Amino acid sequence: MPRIITCFKWVVDQADIRVVPGTDELSLDRVGYRISEYDRNCLEEGARLKEQYGGEVVGLTVGIPGAKKSIKDALSRGPEKAYFVTDPSFSNLEPGQTAAIMAAAISSQIEYDLIICGEGSGDLYAQQVGPRLAEMLGIPCAVFVNKIEIKEKEAIVECKVEDGVEVLALPLPALITVLPDINTPRVPGLKDTLAAGKKPVEEITLQDLNKSFDPYLETLNVRATSMERTCEKMDAGSEGIAKMVAVLTKAGVIS
Amino acid sequence: MIFKLTEEQELIVANMREFAQKYVDPIAVEIDEESRHPAEVMEKLAEDGWMGMPYPAEYGGAGLDFLTYAMVIEELSRSCAATGFTVSCHTGLGAGPIFEYGTEEQKQKYLIPLCKGEKLGGFALTEPGAGTDVAAGSTTAVLDGDEYVLNGTKTFISNGPVGDIFIVVAITDKELSAPKGMSAFIVTKDNPGFRVGEIFKKMGIRSSQTSEIILKDCRVPKEDLLGKVGQGFRIAMQSLDNGRIGVASQALGIAQASLDESIKYSKERIQFNKPIARNQAIQWMIADMVTDIAAARFLTYNAAYLKDQGLPYSKEASMAKLFTAETAMRHSSKAVQIHGGYGYIKGFKVERLMRDAKITEIYEGTSEAQRMVIAANVLR
Ligand SMILES: Cc1cc2nc3c(=O)[nH]c(=O)nc-3n(C[C@H](O)[C@H](O)[C@H](O)COP(=O)(O)OP(=O)(O)OC[C@H]3O[C@@H](n4cnc5c(N)ncnc54)[C@H](O)[C@@H]3O)c2cc1C
Repeated sequence: MPRIITCFKWVVDQADIRVVPGTDELSLDRVGYRISEYDRNCLEEGARLKEQYGGEVVGLTVGIPGAKKSIKDALSRGPEKAYFVTDPSFSNLEPGQTAAIMAAAISSQIEYDLIICGEGSGDLYAQQVGPRLAEMLGIPCAVFVNKIEIKEKEAIVECKVEDGVEVLALPLPALITVLPDINTPRVPGLKDTLAAGKKPVEEITLQDLNKSFDPYLETLNVRATSMERTCEKMDAGSEGIAKMVAVLTKAGVIS
Repeated sequence: MIFKLTEEQELIVANMREFAQKYVDPIAVEIDEESRHPAEVMEKLAEDGWMGMPYPAEYGGAGLDFLTYAMVIEELSRSCAATGFTVSCHTGLGAGPIFEYGTEEQKQKYLIPLCKGEKLGGFALTEPGAGTDVAAGSTTAVLDGDEYVLNGTKTFISNGPVGDIFIVVAITDKELSAPKGMSAFIVTKDNPGFRVGEIFKKMGIRSSQTSEIILKDCRVPKEDLLGKVGQGFRIAMQSLDNGRIGVASQALGIAQASLDESIKYSKERIQFNKPIARNQAIQWMIADMVTDIAAARFLTYNAAYLKDQGLPYSKEASMAKLFTAETAMRHSSKAVQIHGGYGYIKGFKVERLMRDAKITEIYEGTSEAQRMVIAANVLR
């Protein structure tokens, strides 16, 4: 019976991000936070696998102390226990840092057969934490999975690749990142929410890990992209094509 | 907002939002048009534990405080006010009196299946000749051996055609002046002599089922008397105090949905080359909506909070119900105005919201009746 770790991230609700009028700066004054959309599929898959195969499912998140708000929500979606790896310095972590912190926490105290992550996070969407974590733990990894079956000591998974589906057998322990279409996350019932408040939460601090996790990158600025439309119309005839070339040349797109 | 929600309250409200978006929004138009009871949604609500929210776990409930319950009804009503009312009528008026006045046996037998959502509850007080004037009721209950025999017609009973367990108020002593001569009973649809009469077609909350309940020599075991003989009027009035918080929450959901739709539409609708939201006329309507809704929310949460604290809340429940219902009516009408002709067309949510809003000024005490309660409280 598999012991599963489902990983989730507390991210800014994109719908609440505003661009400060007249600038390309982002205003995060009034943003709400939520569990990253992709991680809901991850939590659901953990819950579903447990229903199918038994075993146990725990949740794992890394974040600043404020991310604690995500935990009850996550626990209402399946896991029996949560590990909260936290430090005030854990804001704006790079995927490499997050993966290293998770690897340290998992190696120090969580036993597992399978780790499930979302395909990417709702904020950065770098799609790196899963594969990096697998590499650090030295376990096999399959990404963009839309079906998981567990057979004895193997996970049989279907991965979406460019022109089809790849079926892989991963010896356990292994790590899988899941696609949104792997399942439809359930809406937690009232009783799930109330029960979540009673489930254990283990806090792991930076001190407990006894390591430092340095960034590789330096963020200089975060700015809004803007798309300016000029609404040039041209047809597919030779005149239209000539006009298009002229327009693109003038805009400096081609030369 | 003074009412800072706890993490748990936030999560519960967010879950109801998710529930309503997933299961209620997709069918809200259809059940309104067909006046259909959404049995599939009720089943799911029961399965997920939403049918006995404010009652203790030992009776199959969720043990929530009343404030959280009110917020959940608001959130559900934001998607469909009829479904919100079906739940609040069941919870507040059907199960509420049994929780407050029932014996342990009655709670075991009736409250538990109600809280689990295995049975649907309702409350039968109104009669053709006794609306606001509750004491004018003419349904009678006469003791015959171990059973009471009930005779009379109750009308406009919500959940009537689909409910299982009803609180029925009837006259047990004609000699006493009316309020003192009334008693309350737990009557099930299976009691001999219980019959559903006319099912009414309505302007709004069309998927909520409303009918007559006809009691003809309806036999009710003596053990199903609720509270004491002569307590019926008091039970009814207290239940309505609690029910009014439910109606206020329902109206709040309607008002909030009117605002949601108005903001969305006024930013999208272009006239004179700009979104209509750029016009001060529209902005003022929206500003008034936001302000009234905030005030209505304070009144409603305040009444629920007082109830949670075990403090008197009758006047506050009436104030909440009065103000919130009138807010819902006024602003759902403004929301239609903001939508122009489109707002008058079926399929646009505001058209339904305006029809649904009206009932909140009528049932569980008309706005006039609320003003009577409030005035009586301060002029005594
Ligand atoms: C859809 C729907 C669902 C309902 N569900 C239920 C239910 O589940 N259970 C139940 O028992 N009842 C239910 N009712 C009944 C509802 O509570 C009554 O309709 C309401 O109390 C008003 O009674 P009435 O219709 O007889 O109006 P009336 O009492 O005849 O009132 C008519 C008008 O006169 C006004 N009025 C009356 N008396 C006074 C006074 N003294 N001073 C000033 N104005 C006064 C009223 O405010 C109103 O404007 C429901 C009604 C509807 C329409």
